Amino acid sequence: MSNNNKKWFSLNLGRKEKTSSGSCSCGKTSGGCGSSSDSHHMTDEAFNEAAIHASIGEERTKDGFEQVFDVKMDRRSAFKKLTASLLIGAGAVSTSCSVISGDESKEKAQIDWEEQFKGNYKLMTDKEKEGTVDRLVRSYQLRTGKNISMSSKNAEEDVLFGYAFNISKCQGYMDCVNACVEENNQDRNSQMQYIRIHEMKDGKGFNFNEADDNYYHEVPAEGHFYMGTQCFHCDNPPCVEVCPVQATWREDDGLVVVDYDWCVGCRYCMAACPYDGRRFNWSKPEVPEAEINHNQHYLGNRMRKKGVMEKCTFCVQRSRAGKNPACVEACPTGARIFGNLLDPDSTIRWVLENKKVFRLKEDLGTEPKFWYFMD
Amino acid sequence: MKRLKVFGSLVKDSLDTITHGSKKYHLWMALLTFVMLAGMYCYSIQLEHGLSVTGMTDRVSWGLYISNFTFLVGVAAAAVMLVMPTYVLKDIDFKQAVLIGEGLAVAALIMCLAFVIADMGGPSVLWHMIPGIGVFNFPNSMLTWDVLVLNGYLFLNITIPFYILFRHYQGKEAKRSVYIPGAILSVFWAVAIHLVTAFLYQGLQARPFWNNALLGPRFLASAFAAGPALIILVLAIIRSFTEFKIQDKTIKKIAMVVTVAAQINLIMLISELFKEFYAPTHHSESAYYLFFGLDGKDALLPWIWTAIPLNVLATVLLTFHKLRNNFKVLFFCCFILFVAIWIEKGFGLIVPGFIPGPYGKIAEYMPTGIEIGVTLGIWALGAFVFTILAKTAIGIELGKLRYKK
Amino acid sequence: MKNNINVMNKIVCFSFFLVAFFSCKHHENEYHSITDKIEAESKDYHGTSISSEAYIGEIQTIEITEGDHTFLIPERKSQIKSYACTECHSKPLSQMKSKDLKKAHWDIKMDHANANTMNCVTCHNPDNMDDLKSLTGNEIDFNTSYNLCNQCHTKQFEDWKGGAHGKRIGGWAPPRASMTCVNCHDPHKPHFESRWPASFNTQKVKERE
Repeated sequence: MSNNNKKWFSLNLGRKEKTSSGSCSCGKTSGGCGSSSDSHHMTDEAFNEAAIHASIGEERTKDGFEQVFDVKMDRRSAFKKLTASLLIGAGAVSTSCSVISGDESKEKAQIDWEEQFKGNYKLMTDKEKEGTVDRLVRSYQLRTGKNISMSSKNAEEDVLFGYAFNISKCQGYMDCVNACVEENNQDRNSQMQYIRIHEMKDGKGFNFNEADDNYYHEVPAEGHFYMGTQCFHCDNPPCVEVCPVQATWREDDGLVVVDYDWCVGCRYCMAACPYDGRRFNWSKPEVPEAEINHNQHYLGNRMRKKGVMEKCTFCVQRSRAGKNPACVEACPTGARIFGNLLDPDSTIRWVLENKKVFRLKEDLGTEPKFWYFMD
Repeated sequence: MKRLKVFGSLVKDSLDTITHGSKKYHLWMALLTFVMLAGMYCYSIQLEHGLSVTGMTDRVSWGLYISNFTFLVGVAAAAVMLVMPTYVLKDIDFKQAVLIGEGLAVAALIMCLAFVIADMGGPSVLWHMIPGIGVFNFPNSMLTWDVLVLNGYLFLNITIPFYILFRHYQGKEAKRSVYIPGAILSVFWAVAIHLVTAFLYQGLQARPFWNNALLGPRFLASAFAAGPALIILVLAIIRSFTEFKIQDKTIKKIAMVVTVAAQINLIMLISELFKEFYAPTHHSESAYYLFFGLDGKDALLPWIWTAIPLNVLATVLLTFHKLRNNFKVLFFCCFILFVAIWIEKGFGLIVPGFIPGPYGKIAEYMPTGIEIGVTLGIWALGAFVFTILAKTAIGIELGKLRYKK
Repeated sequence: MKNNINVMNKIVCFSFFLVAFFSCKHHENEYHSITDKIEAESKDYHGTSISSEAYIGEIQTIEITEGDHTFLIPERKSQIKSYACTECHSKPLSQMKSKDLKKAHWDIKMDHANANTMNCVTCHNPDNMDDLKSLTGNEIDFNTSYNLCNQCHTKQFEDWKGGAHGKRIGGWAPPRASMTCVNCHDPHKPHFESRWPASFNTQKVKERE
């Protein structure tokens, strides 16, 4: 407990550290940078074992970003948190001077400190991006003993992602919804889902008001058709405009992403989105350890913490590697088409040029990169 | 160096004043402290479990906190209705009221900031918003504009009265050349804070209920009704509990301001209702939800149907000189007007903006006990701050607090 | 006094213009619409380094060219359990139906168009079971069975070639590999079965109570 409390405020004052990435890349942040690299006499394996035993204990069963960053606390320590700013100074000094706490908990403390005071991912150099990803991977390893792979792959040149949805084909099976949740490590408790499938009555047009997006009966239902919505990755995204801290932005390949660590949780973007594309972590997100997708991207499906926004990223961890998003892959009817809008030979381009396509709420000028079409 | 000494003495004296008072005063402060502590306890629960302890959901993602924030920005802006005549137009009548008004503005702004912080999902990373250290998305995000104007206004409203009181404390007259520019600036600024806050909502094409050109002007009109109404009530309380003399003339003049603003507000309300219901479109659904309920969902009906009659009643009563000049009627009108606008501009504005959702889905919003607790705590904080400021200011103005060389 | 106010006015006006100036949005790549942007930026498209080849995985593919489109489809023959058909179909069909032979294909029920339009031999070649046959009697390889389907389903065929119908294998990047007709549709019963949705959100129900 005391270890946990201290980790927020610790500075790196003469602590011996085993450098994992070679560089400490938080040059811009205010945290204690310039850690001395020194030889560490444990082997990696032994170190891991020790770290797990020493540091996590009962926390091992916990999930999500929570176990990485949040401090377990009772009501009394919650009050302490209220005056955290006053404690920072004292806490920092006490931890860094303490000789009792083990080396691994000091490493954790160091990582947490640097993570707390790192900059905005959007403005980071590639080296800094690698640095924070390394820290997050290491932190996860220290706390759970499990390895994850996290990518910080940037947008490729000459790529602009687009998506097309065939209304005639969708049968409403919702396989996409499940695949999305499994791929993107969404909170299981609140049953957060990025995708909504709207069951619409034939002959009523696209009447969302009367559509049901949470049906449970055999599908396709007689006299109905199905229309999926998710984040449309607008080219002129209102959510990005309104963010006060630029925690969300449009990448060069068209993906609208969120830096979960930079988000302050004001939910202005949520109010600004005309497409219900954004989700908020009202409480700490939890995913059973066995169900965690370990193939992660910093901007994609890595573990979130409570009080931050998240959204569909067209599975950035997959799409930037050349795979289709999980929803596209899971769709048994081929109603979902994904590809590079800049490639004249791509299938998505063929759809846009040869089918009668439309988008939702085009009059708002948001320029979604998500088209609907019919056979 | 001397100024520092004077300042130190002022702080000491004011601490002395605010810790001494009648039994009623102590009781009042104890009550506020208790409510604040309760609010803090509620907030600690919210910190621990996240915003899921509030009634907000992905559907209605802003609730009681932002409602109160919006309303209080208006109250803060209303201080200008007193500043302009006093400092710029040299209308002596308001001189006594204006310090109270500015104190009220400071308290309201502190409440605003507290409400915004209470609404944040990650208060520990709020430093991301500090220009220079964090990333400030200016000028794209209206929220950054709001942060700027609110803090600027807070600064103005602290410095101007502080300068005046500081001079008076030393027994000197305040120099007009020093505070007049600030006063003029604050006039523009007050309009700006409210307009910018309106733009915060008005600029969202996703929410047709907010995305109308009348929102900004209507914010101003309702603010200039509710704010001075609150000032009248506060002045009435101060008049009866302290020796601070506030002339009837002053209150009557402020009442005039309230009346005109309330009338304009009513006209705008009618215009808005006409637009929504004469030729209802898909975009009128939020208004339908607010006034009549939609698909059997009608949580806001009791609220709005309390607010509208109160609003109309107050405006009609205030319109008649005879009734307005009767202080009992005036105070009653101010109270109901304040309540009506609090509902209309808080709950009645924020919640329907989210209902129905982008795809027509309706999830109703009802604040939880914890949310209400935090809200009450912040109101108590505002009252606490105001009491301290007012007590010191009154002490200085009455000449009880003076620098002893 | 007047001077003071004048200066004040000037400052206010100046700061107003300053704010207005900085608030003007001037993005570099401003296009009127996303289609303009796509058109402009794809003019000098040189391809990317991203490839989906690795994700096709174990699936054997063959390259086909139909019209302007060249892409991969899964190889079919190796996936048919008892290919080649002639290993059993050594005699003409009329003789195969005799009682003493082991029954096969008993579970196949035709549910494709109606009996007037189709029966087994509309597609299967009774003279050479290892191949399929077109309506006019030309032989069609099992690997390119889509040529059989496109005799009637011309619109779907066009969409499939372009990529609007059917599902991609692997990923979005080149090389393009698409499922062929029979990978999703059972040719004897081509429609999709109705079933229960994979997910039901109980939280959403609570939220909307």
